[in-house]
Amino acid sequence: MLVGLLINGLVSGALYALVAVGFTLVIGVLDKLNFAHPEVLMIGGFVAVVASGLPPYYAFIAAFATGGLLGLVVEFAAFRRFTDADAKITAGLASMAVGLVLTDLTQKVFGTESVSLPIGGGWLSRRFQIAGVEFLNVQIVIVLATAILTGGLHVLLQRTRVGRQIRAVAESPVSASLLGVNVLRVSQAVFFVSSALAAEAGLLLALRSGAASSDIGLTFGLKALAIMAIGGLGDLRGAMLGGLVIGVLEAFMFHLGLGRLSELTVWLAMIVTLMVRPRGLFSSGTHGLEQRA
Amino acid sequence: MKQPILEVRKLQKSFGGLRALDGINLDIHEGEVVGLIGPNGAGKTALLNTVTGFYRATGGTILFQNQDITHRPMHEIGRLGIGRTFQNIRLFRRMTVLENALVAFRPFADHPLRSLIAYRERRMAIARAMHWLELLQLADKVDRIASSLSYGDARRLEIARALVGEPSLLLLDEPAAGMNENETRRLVDDIAIVRRHVRAIVLIEHDMDLIRSLSDRLVAMDYGRKIVEGASAEVLNHPEVLKAYLGTDTEETVS
Repeated sequence: MLVGLLINGLVSGALYALVAVGFTLVIGVLDKLNFAHPEVLMIGGFVAVVASGLPPYYAFIAAFATGGLLGLVVEFAAFRRFTDADAKITAGLASMAVGLVLTDLTQKVFGTESVSLPIGGGWLSRRFQIAGVEFLNVQIVIVLATAILTGGLHVLLQRTRVGRQIRAVAESPVSASLLGVNVLRVSQAVFFVSSALAAEAGLLLALRSGAASSDIGLTFGLKALAIMAIGGLGDLRGAMLGGLVIGVLEAFMFHLGLGRLSELTVWLAMIVTLMVRPRGLFSSGTHGLEQRA
Repeated sequence: MKQPILEVRKLQKSFGGLRALDGINLDIHEGEVVGLIGPNGAGKTALLNTVTGFYRATGGTILFQNQDITHRPMHEIGRLGIGRTFQNIRLFRRMTVLENALVAFRPFADHPLRSLIAYRERRMAIARAMHWLELLQLADKVDRIASSLSYGDARRLEIARALVGEPSLLLLDEPAAGMNENETRRLVDDIAIVRRHVRAIVLIEHDMDLIRSLSDRLVAMDYGRKIVEGASAEVLNHPEVLKAYLGTDTEETVS
């Protein structure tokens, strides 16, 4: 029973983490808050609908590409022009507008009701047991996919030249620029990767619930914002752990019979965390583009 | 005389009503180390910032190796061959010494995606980066996190990092700021080595002994203009220069 709850919590938590990591990457490198991020997650769910007839890995590739391209669109439409420090709020608002447009467009195409995936009862919802604990295939898929995606992000950032440029821009865009790094290209790379992760999370979420819905950005995606704050803005580790912890907490709250109230878990956790540690759990205080001597 | 490497013509930079650069002219020639002096607020750093594209010029032109770079973006100016260090050292503090140097490797800097594909360039990149790190005696510290370096080493790394991009022109903004006597002495040696590898150096410095020993020629600025230029003894004793320093409330003095 307890183990089952823990597993459910960790699976939700993995999805939260995936979205929060994308949020925090954009903040950490570019010092920008992308309010269109939850809506990219939402569209990832509809990729699952569109690709439902195809082998699953096509859906994963399609979600990655769709998310990534949407990331480029968001960067162009909401952030490209607002590079001054005092235009950050404007850029945030513009990204919110882009997000709302994405929601509206999705609702025009798929309607406002949630759309069921025609794969119900398929391989993903089959169960199996290990040592008396019951798992769903989809849960394994979610955990594996999250591990691969976040592991891939780690390798990208730590082991590749793109990653080195991204980290350089995160610390000092001016120095990086003078050394020949095209900050615009780096921004695009960051938005691409961040949004691709969000769309993957949306796809996985739809596979788990068996449906895609246009309000998932607000109900699920926005929580990742709180998780990012809990983990510490711009801290990938914090977003990852925060996601898992909140997922588990939420599962237990739900189990306690709190029902809809368990939805408040993440927001209460954020308020409490920030009261105790205003910069979040892993506040290295190193987020953003501020220049340090 | 040969075409200068850098030609600054009537360069202007205003911030609202404030003229940081007021139509300054400056030529930098092959092989020379030019010292920029002047009281605080004279526009020395503003000049470097405008030449490197960090500030957008509000008038005038900048020619670098015969190319108009006045309105080019910073990363293009960097790639064309202008390197720079900052008064307050700006390293990538959370990266290792080697990683700091690698960021500047030209083929890598061109495009992040291209650099992802061209994996075999890695060896060459490390070799080039190591070459410059060795030149500035940082070879035994390549795996250190940049924030753990001593002040002198941090400054050396900033210079080495600029050199990895193989610039023709190197701009050093108060490289000796905050250094003790030993560190400063070493800096003089370092700059003597570095000047053999770049075509010209422009140096801002407040330590007059230091700038005299390093520079072939001095340019004195005040109020965003060039007031005097020439041999160091001549410039340092020029009445206009003395007046500029005495006329401000800074505690710097010409020694």
